[in-house]
Amino acid sequence: MPETLQSGTTGLTFQDLILKLSRFWADQGCVLALPYDVEVGAGTMAPETFLRVLGPQPYRVAYVQPSRRPADGRYGENPNRLLKHTQMQVILKPPPENIQQMYLESLSAIGIDLDHHDVRFEEDNWEAPTLGAWGIGWQVMLDGLEISQFTYFQQCGGLDLDPISVELTYGLERITAFQQNVKEVYEIKWNNTFTYGDIRRAEELEFSVYDFEVADPETCREILDRYEREALRVLDSYRALKGPKDDDQRRRFPLRKVYDLCLKCSHLFNILDARGAISVTERVALIARIRKMACRVAEIYVDRLAPVEEAQPA
Amino acid sequence: MSNQERDLGFGVGSSPIAETGSQSSSPNPEPPTPNPTVPSGSTIPPLHRSNLLWVKADLVETLSSASLPLLLEIGCEEIPARFLTDAQKQFGERLRAALEQARLLPVAEEDPASQPPIETYSTPRRLVAHVPWVLATQPDQSEEVMGPPVRVAFDAKGKPTRAAESFAQKNGVRVEDLLKVSTPNGEYLKAKKLTPGRQASTVLKEILPGVITGLAFPKSMYWEPSKTRFVRPIRWILALLGEGDQGHVVAFEVAGVATGNSTYGHRAAGTKPVSVSSFYDYTQKLGELLVQVDPEKRRGRVLDEIEVLLKFPALGVMTGTAKILRAGAGRTDPNERLEAVRSHIRALPDESDLRLITDRDLEDWVVNSTECPHAILGTFEERFLKLPREILITVMRDHQKYFAVESSAGKLQSCFVTVLNVVRDPKGNIRAGHERVLTARFSDAEFFWNADQKVPLRDRLPMLDRVTYQAELGSYGDKVRRMEAIAKSLCSTLQENGKMTRAEADHALRAVQLCKCDLTTQMVQEFTELQGVVGGLYAAYQGEPHEVADAIYDHYKPAGLDDKLPRTIVGAVVSLADKIDSVFAGFAVGLEPTGSSDPFGLRRAGNGIIKLAVEALPGLNLLDLVSVFTEAGAVDLRLPQRPSLEVVSAFLREREEYYLTEAGKLRYDTVRAVIHSHLGWRIPSEALQRGKALEKVRDTQDFGALAAAAKRTHNILKKSAAREDWGSAMGINKSLLTDGPERDLYDAYEASRATLKDLEARCAFEEAFRVLATLRPAVDRFFDKVLVMDQNPEIRANRLQLLGGLRSFVFSRLADLSQIEGSISPSGDGATSGADAGATPNTPD
Repeated sequence: MPETLQSGTTGLTFQDLILKLSRFWADQGCVLALPYDVEVGAGTMAPETFLRVLGPQPYRVAYVQPSRRPADGRYGENPNRLLKHTQMQVILKPPPENIQQMYLESLSAIGIDLDHHDVRFEEDNWEAPTLGAWGIGWQVMLDGLEISQFTYFQQCGGLDLDPISVELTYGLERITAFQQNVKEVYEIKWNNTFTYGDIRRAEELEFSVYDFEVADPETCREILDRYEREALRVLDSYRALKGPKDDDQRRRFPLRKVYDLCLKCSHLFNILDARGAISVTERVALIARIRKMACRVAEIYVDRLAPVEEAQPA
Repeated sequence: MSNQERDLGFGVGSSPIAETGSQSSSPNPEPPTPNPTVPSGSTIPPLHRSNLLWVKADLVETLSSASLPLLLEIGCEEIPARFLTDAQKQFGERLRAALEQARLLPVAEEDPASQPPIETYSTPRRLVAHVPWVLATQPDQSEEVMGPPVRVAFDAKGKPTRAAESFAQKNGVRVEDLLKVSTPNGEYLKAKKLTPGRQASTVLKEILPGVITGLAFPKSMYWEPSKTRFVRPIRWILALLGEGDQGHVVAFEVAGVATGNSTYGHRAAGTKPVSVSSFYDYTQKLGELLVQVDPEKRRGRVLDEIEVLLKFPALGVMTGTAKILRAGAGRTDPNERLEAVRSHIRALPDESDLRLITDRDLEDWVVNSTECPHAILGTFEERFLKLPREILITVMRDHQKYFAVESSAGKLQSCFVTVLNVVRDPKGNIRAGHERVLTARFSDAEFFWNADQKVPLRDRLPMLDRVTYQAELGSYGDKVRRMEAIAKSLCSTLQENGKMTRAEADHALRAVQLCKCDLTTQMVQEFTELQGVVGGLYAAYQGEPHEVADAIYDHYKPAGLDDKLPRTIVGAVVSLADKIDSVFAGFAVGLEPTGSSDPFGLRRAGNGIIKLAVEALPGLNLLDLVSVFTEAGAVDLRLPQRPSLEVVSAFLREREEYYLTEAGKLRYDTVRAVIHSHLGWRIPSEALQRGKALEKVRDTQDFGALAAAAKRTHNILKKSAAREDWGSAMGINKSLLTDGPERDLYDAYEASRATLKDLEARCAFEEAFRVLATLRPAVDRFFDKVLVMDQNPEIRANRLQLLGGLRSFVFSRLADLSQIEGSISPSGDGATSGADAGATPNTPD
């Protein structure tokens, strides 16, 4: 193995990678949004993606999003697997024609010399059954390493999208480990002083312990049920708001909070799943319940778009 | 394309994939220009894609003024590798159909040789079709149209009426050009309508969009406002009619993309469009832009490169190739040169003992996911070789798309071959990247292996109570307990029949207990496709007897009719117990297959059961085995509901019919005859034997006649004879038989019974069928001369008894001969039907 992969450099630190990618996408006209503050299983679930891809308004956004997948927890022991990993999430609505080229330029921007690497787009269609969302696309492979998902969203919240959005997600730990040429994710330099392990290993351990050993399935079920009841209660109240005089009530309808409740349910479902506490049929039923909430949120979001103004791109 | 035609020009010079081979398929070939960047001594002159085109040079000459070449390229974002071959084929077929329908191809009947060979190519980023010649203009078309009757078309003075005028006008002719034609209904007007042919470019712009959007893919998408569906976004379309100065773009638009005369190269060759003037120019330029459009040439290059790599692992492809190509120096004939190079490769001593583990699916994937394939050899740390071969190969092949490498003795080597989509890897960066990814993957597997060993399989059994099998069916712990009950019953039967030893039975029960425990391991949670295999490997590692370990390893086999069987009887027992449980469990909760839906995969399990019963446990009485667990059986599997024998038998019988047809290759009606016989389906291996024996004799004349008699008997017994016709007598009363055909038949039947019984016991079915066939004359004469439905009720009942006996022991014991189709009618059919007139409807179906 050669001493370094990047001739002359040792690769960006984790935080520099975030900064460079953010800069690149900001330069492409993206709103640089902040990570969402409710647990999500993937960057897609953050409202900046789930809601923004709905409706006709063009939009471009980029944000870093920590994503939690309890089933992937390995107590901080596995060299490459994380319960909470970090994605850079980019939405381009509608996608420009040169979108693939733009993506490749983003790789150059973070120091990947495309003349000396093999970047491939391999079929990988994405689906999020709890969101009623799916798309067509690829996993992007860099010398055999999956570094991104590249998806043309087709549906979200059960609704056909018009226009289509492209979603780009970057696996930031993987890319950094690749560039820094380290054997395990915990050896990544976060900055020049701290490693990824310094910052995150304890968190991985504790969340793994909770999700695999401590979490009480009954309690999780109970909370999930309550969040769902609350979400449905609020959603039901929207039905009454039909007439033109209800415009203001519709505008004030706390849709985004309902979506948070839906995200909570999704995360609890993931914990139950990690515990192996869900049977095959129960799994199908639970996914359907969460999807139903997500789809109702999406419908209301679109319903409200026409009369009510949403943030427009600058 | 044969190996001889394979282009060996890989990895040479700075433009290693410049192809000159395709030019010969251009109808007006430009002179081949040697690639100046290729070092002398290693240039490979163009290979002829198709000799056919050279033969037809004259024809091309005559056509050239009236015809034009057409080049079409759909430029796309990366098309999934698994769709590419079919898409390429479809593209060619749809294009030909469209051109034919638009009358832009020469008429095939007039001269089949004038049909252009439509050549298609593909890479992940393009679908290409080249038609060497289409007609520059459609031929004029004349048709005859019938009009109104002459008496209506002209008035009394013979002047044309409105009817005549409007008919003429409608068909674009003058009234005076209308013809009269006589028909049986009188005289009618006729118009000869002439439609002038239109120019190809006009027609093509109408039909080509449909050719493109009509391509069907297993999964498609939309991406822009017109909502056109395609496999991936279309980014450019090259549509060139004619070439050189005469070439022009066929102007149309698909999914917002307008056609042009430009293409794009490999991503590594820049992002600028490159205009092309002919197909020759196109392949030349794409070659310079690092694209090989012909998948078969890419395949050839990959295979050749791998061969060199494995022979000279230390040199790498570049140096290895240069060394080898010297062997071809000095030969002018390209094929000779290629052969010289190839035989040189073969003759060279191996510098190392490396063999590719070939994998056609992976090879196809590699070919269809690259524009300029380049094989490299990577290595991994020796220590990973202590992980099992199965796991290493799964990681390399399924997860990383690498070819694994072994020694000639079959020992896995610590290296792999991967195929890049770039020209080269001069610094070894890419190889190092792949090696690191593989190391990480193997480290994962190693981590799982070590973590899993902390709790051996035998201690994981209680954990299965927490793994759900299916909500209503409980856990895998429950499933294993049911499998134990089934295996016990199966083992005792096999032991009674001397097919299994006590030790084997013990091993089988142990293996049943452990076989699902690997579901709780991290290795299987990561590599689910290795369930069973991992259990077997762990069992061996943890000191279980190898018989037990092998049985666990094999217990998902056979996964289909083509899959291998478990290697041992112990494995067969575990597999059978697993599958029988799945079937019972599925039926117990109403998850049985209906129509095209089979949520529990029961048909597959059923196919496995039959295959095991025939091939691994011949002689097994499957009906006896399963009936124990049904509603009325002795053993309760404690399912939510006990399926009835009827339901389970009907399902297994259907699977057996499928097996006999598909795996046994028996004719459909042979299968029915065997399954619906008295011996039935219960012993699947024996049913297959009977079927095979029946196929050997069924086409003989005697047998065909016998089958017809069987049908007749069946009809008499089933349709003509009422219950009361049978009387109260049991068995045949010999004293009531009349001399002649009736008694002769009885005697013949009695005489053959003992023989048949003996042959059946020895499973000598073919001979038994031949003995049956000897009864034919007696049977024929009986039907010829004897009226079964006699006036005398006693005689009638006795004759029915005789037929009943015949049916039980002759016509449907080994096979229900009445099911055999296309039997030859018995001779003297007229007389026969006369004899039974009024009693039977005409028998043959």
